[in-house]
Formats: sequence, C-alpha cells, structure tokens
Amino acid sequence: MSRLPLDPSAGGGRFPGFDVMAQSKHWDEVTTSVVVSRLGMPPDIRFFRGTEEATASALCDQLLDQQKPPRVPVVNMVDARLADEQTDGWHYDGMAPDGQSWRDSLAALDEDAMAHSGCTFAEAPWEAQSAILQAVLDLGSKPWHGTPAARIWSLWTRYACTAFYSHPWAWDEIGFPGPAYPRGYKNLGVNEPGGKTNRLEPFEVADARPAQDPLRKGNS
Amino acid sequence: MNSVRDRNESAWLLPAGPGINHRLRADMRHFDDEEEVDVVIIGCGAGGSTMAQRLARAGWSVVAMDAGPFWDPDKDWVSDEAGSHHLYWTEPRVIGGADPVPLGSNNSGRGVGGSMVHYAGYAPRFHPSDFRIHSADGVGTDWPIEYTDLKPYYTEIEEELPVSGQDWPWGDPHSYSYSPNPVSGNGDMFLRGALACGITAKVGPVAIANGRFGNRPHCIYRGFCLQGCKVNAKASPLITHIPDALAHGAEVRADSMVTRIEVDERTGKATGVHYNRRGSQRFQRARMVVVAGYSIETPRLLLNSASARFPDGLCNDFDLVGRYLMVQGAPQTAGRFDGEVRMYKAPPPEVSTEEFYETDPTKPYKRGFSIQTVSPLPITWAEHVAAQGHWGAGLRQYMSDYVHWSCLGALCEFLPLPENRVVLSSEKDRHGLPVAQFNYSQCDNDKALMRAAQSVMEDILQAAGADEVITIDRYAHLVGGARMGADEHSGVVDGDCRSFAVPNLYITDGSVLPTEGSANPALTIMAIAARAADRLTAGGAGSTADRLPVPVRRGATG
Repeated sequence: MSRLPLDPSAGGGRFPGFDVMAQSKHWDEVTTSVVVSRLGMPPDIRFFRGTEEATASALCDQLLDQQKPPRVPVVNMVDARLADEQTDGWHYDGMAPDGQSWRDSLAALDEDAMAHSGCTFAEAPWEAQSAILQAVLDLGSKPWHGTPAARIWSLWTRYACTAFYSHPWAWDEIGFPGPAYPRGYKNLGVNEPGGKTNRLEPFEVADARPAQDPLRKGNS
Repeated sequence: MNSVRDRNESAWLLPAGPGINHRLRADMRHFDDEEEVDVVIIGCGAGGSTMAQRLARAGWSVVAMDAGPFWDPDKDWVSDEAGSHHLYWTEPRVIGGADPVPLGSNNSGRGVGGSMVHYAGYAPRFHPSDFRIHSADGVGTDWPIEYTDLKPYYTEIEEELPVSGQDWPWGDPHSYSYSPNPVSGNGDMFLRGALACGITAKVGPVAIANGRFGNRPHCIYRGFCLQGCKVNAKASPLITHIPDALAHGAEVRADSMVTRIEVDERTGKATGVHYNRRGSQRFQRARMVVVAGYSIETPRLLLNSASARFPDGLCNDFDLVGRYLMVQGAPQTAGRFDGEVRMYKAPPPEVSTEEFYETDPTKPYKRGFSIQTVSPLPITWAEHVAAQGHWGAGLRQYMSDYVHWSCLGALCEFLPLPENRVVLSSEKDRHGLPVAQFNYSQCDNDKALMRAAQSVMEDILQAAGADEVITIDRYAHLVGGARMGADEHSGVVDGDCRSFAVPNLYITDGSVLPTEGSANPALTIMAIAARAADRLTAGGAGSTADRLPVPVRRGATG
C-alpha cells in the first residue's frame, strides 16, 4: 500500500499490501543505490531562485495533485535536473533551453495569479491555481506569454511526471514492481479477472478494484 | 556453410553470464595519433561497429571513436527508467519546422553500442518494394541498390545478433535461426485482437535469442530493454560486434568527440579527424575516414567541416547534406482491459504485423505502416496519459489503472522531403561548435498514414476486448540526411557508401538510407555497413578498387 495519501475514489489503495521496497534485496546493487537515493533526504534546491521555488512547488503539487504530506519531493527532483542541465536533449526553435523556459514560465504564472487573484501563484488558493493552469492547458497551441501553451505544458508535465513516477511510493500506488534485475519475471500473460488465470508473480498484488476504469461511466 | 562463430566470435568472447570481457578491453591495442591508421571510424553504433568488426577481421588497422563512454552494463546501467537518462544523446539540439521531432531518449544514443543500446530490439528486414518506391508509386526516390544486393547481409546479421521469430511471410519471406520468445500479456492481447480482425500477426522479429547464444544468457523477461540490457540477452553492437573487433586488433577510443574531418586541399583526400578527448584537442591520421554518427551528428559533422574547397560543408557541393531526413510516424494506441495486462513484464518487442506495409491501391495514400507491441514503463505511460489532457487528480487516477492497459505502436513510412533537414544553429555546444537544428514538417501522405494506422490499432484492441482506447502521436527512428544515390546530384554517397566528393570518405550509418520503409532501421543499417565493408575488403569492388587506399594487412592479434 502506498504511503501517499490518495482517496480510494481517486485511485488510492488499489494494491493492498503491495510494497516495492520489500523486494529490494532481489535487486542489483547499482540499481538499488539509484532507487534508494530517491527515498533519502531530498536534494537541496540549487536552481530555482527567490520566489521561483515557491511557484514551482505549487505548480508541481497541482500537476500531481499532491495536496498533503507525505509527498514525493517533485520540486527538488525537477530542480536537481535543471541545476545539472540534464535536459531531454532538445529544445524548440524560438524557445529558450529548458532551464530558462522554466524560469520564464514560473514568472508568467505569477503574473497570471496577480491578475487573477491579486497575489503570487503560490499564495493563490488551490482552486484558483487549478483554474489558472487549466486555462493554460485550454490554450493548446495558442500562445501563452509569447510561447505556444502546449509546449510549456509539455515542459512542465515531462519534468514533473518523470520525477513523480520514478519514486517507489508512486509505483506502490500503481502496482508496478520497479527494478527487475537480476530476478526477472517468470509468469507472463494476462491475469484474467475473477481468478480465471493467475499470471502474477508471488510478489505482485492483484488490483482490488479492477473495474475502476477511470473513463467508464458510473465510476467515480 | 560457415558458422556464425567462424566469422564473428563476439558472443563467445563475452564471459558466461552477464558482464564484459575485462581482459579483452585491458589488452586492447592503442594507436598513436601520429600513426596513419588504415581507417578511423566515427561513431560506434550499428553502422560504425559493424565496419570496425569487418575491417579489423580483414587485417586493417582500425580506430573506432565514440563521443560517449565504453559502457560496462554491470556498473553503468540500471534496471530503472529515470536512472537511464545517460544512455541518450542529450547535448543541446534545436528542433523546428511545422511538426518538430523530439530527439534524445526518443531516438538518439551515445556511447559504444549507439542507439541500439536503448532500442527495443525489433530487427525486421526492409521489403523489396522499399528500394524502388519512386518507380512503383511515384513517391520518394529509388535506391541505387536493390533488395537482392542486401539480402545476403541481412541473413548474416540476423545470425550474428541473433534474431528470433516465427517464419516471416511478408516482403521477401524468410525464417529465423531462433524460434520466437514466449509472449506476455501485451503480445497476447495483440494476437487475440489480430485474430478476431482477420489480420495476420507474428511473434518477432526480435534481436533477443530464445535461448543462450554463445556465452550470452537467456533473456529474463524483465522488460527494461529500452534502458540497456544488463543481461547481455538483447543484441547491441557493444556485445555483437565490438568484442570481435577488439580481438582482431581494433581500438575503440571512447569519450572522443570528433569535431572536424580534415581534407587535403591538394589531393582532395581525407587525412584524418580532429577530435576532443577529455578536454584535449587531438588529430588522428588515417588513410580512410568512415563517418557513422547517425542522421543528426553525421550531417552536423560534415557541415562543421567546411573548408575552402567545400565552403558549404564537406561533401555538400549539391546542397544534399542534412536533407531528406526522415522519421517514422509512430502513433501509439492503448486499450483498457478488466484483466491485468501488466505490460511491463517481458521485453516490449514481441509481436508485429506487416500486413499494411505495402501500397494499397484502394487507399488514397501511398506506402503503409507496420504495427508492433510497445510496452511503456510508468514514466513513458504518464506521458501518454498527460497527452490526453489529464493532470492533477485525473492523472493520478488514470495512472492507478496502469496494469490494465495494453499498448501498440505503429511505424508509418514518412516520405523523404528536401526541407526536412539538419542545419547548423547559431547556438554553440560546450566545444564551441554550432549545434544541429533539425526541422521537420509532415506532408499530407504522412498525415493520412498516421490516422490509418491509428484506426487499425483501435480495431485490433477493441476486437481483443478493450473498452477504451487512447492514442498519442509520436515519432520513431531517424534515417537519411546524407543519402545514397545514383550520382552526386541525387546522393551524398554511392551504393557502396563512398562519398562522391572525397574518394576515401565513407558514410555507413542510418543517414545513407534514401527511404525508410515501415521497418525499424537497425538491421538494415548493419546490413548496409556489412556490405560496404565487404566491397572494400573483397578486392572485388572492381571499378572502385584502384581509387581505394590499400590497407596494410596484419594477422589477427586475438
């Protein structure tokens, strides 16, 4: 069960008792050190300056819906990548490299919040922050503060999702066992509902609510 | 018939089980910069490593450079998605055009083994029709060589990787030396859906032996193929060609970024390469230069090697360098099942169909697409979900459903267009060199193929029982940018990969492909390099032999 607080109606608690780290004794040393480091003290902020850290924190909390602790330290993980210039290996023509684009877009969020709520983005109420972000997403390829909104949105979500879904707590939440070397998998195939077939490894946990399709009508 | 081991001993030079042959690397031969080696190869990926192995075996003195590290999979690679970022080429690059194509993790490797370190492992052949799409369909261009020219090299490389799969009914029908690997949940869903739709699908062709190969162990089905195979089960040149090259006296010079190719203005021949190694600027003399930096870095290096004789870039007399660069349209469609697919289990490459590969005269578009299993791990899957506009609570809920999703990917043949190209940006890298800007815009045929492929993938998944399907548009692979042609007005190199402008300069990587088919390019790149090496070393290259440097033959040192 993930340590992250997520209501069952929002997808929480689907894999009762599943604990990725309980299997770490079966992983190779190099991989283990990389994964365990994510559970230690979050890296110090080195890239974001002044109020950027507060704005980026609020943005990352919104993008991953982390409203209360314990949280995956997404903003620290994003900051570490930007400080190390660990980019994805490209940036759009006419758009600054990733670090500067993060700075510019955080400043633009504060501008929007000032116009919308009369305060910085981080100081704005949760619902106001959500509305500001939804407005950016809704612009699609139209410009937002001079840059196609979809490109800024992609920049934010790429960095934020990479951080969040690299964390063992997030893997616990989605039923993913993480590293698999040198152990591998032995029981391949579709695990049919209702126990018709069992294609789980001994350490995997079946979804307790397999019908909770996020798109199926009538499901909350 | 000679056995694989007789012509390429790599799999027997590795230790039994995972790991590298440390002795082979410690004993590696080293050449002085001042020594004029028979050949310097730039880039140790699919094309460069194959050349290094073939030429070293023929007794040539070989220095093979790579900008990245000489990997030790045991120590350098992890069974983790975010922790594998260092496998990708992440030096700065700029993307533009109407449909910009992301680079880095999407299609660009670094280090010895190249992009094949993080490719999925699909190793299909091109179809005979790929070599003459202009004659047949009036689109793209014809190759200066035919399928039959490559066929023997396809067979050779398939045995050396090796490739496993069912008997292949498409293109030029053929078999594989290894039977197909067992199929996991994702492959099972593809097979079920295809059967229900009346579409033929086959298991393979995948460059992972179903069994041991030499000292290389059996696959453990851990699903991290795209993060570099720590097991040594999935083929990459790091384990399929480099060990044999070392045993035959080649030097692999890693951490060496070639910055410029030198050409003697008087003789018109290449004399060696300038390169930066750990902060020192050096020059390696060579009788022959082979460029194998792939579709972005090869054109960039040629453009950055301008001189008085070549003011617009080396080999660029006819403004062809960097042009006709292609990617494949690679929409991925996922389906949701109440059963648990758990697509992270087993290698992502499992099942494919080439049923839609050829031009269908009843359709409004030319050429076609293939469909294959792809099995995104959580971070990549989150990109899929986010691309649907989900974020915050919606994203978390969607992601909690991960184990129920199955995912297919298409490879749509995009046509070669002159404006899809690499140019030099005003931005500089840490060596002070202009970085590559890659511009891409789709034509109408490209767009039509994307939608047609999506529709077939939706049909397959729904026929398998999916209640929801979602699609993300993306791109895969790079080819072209220094294509081969019948003459210097249509290509940068000829059918043997020799540049028209500089007689001792060869290009043997994906950039020489004039078209891309709907096949993953690795096998074809290796086959083209193997053929080029054969033409160089056999002495049977006939008309070209008199203009080639004569290698100093040496006995094998291994």
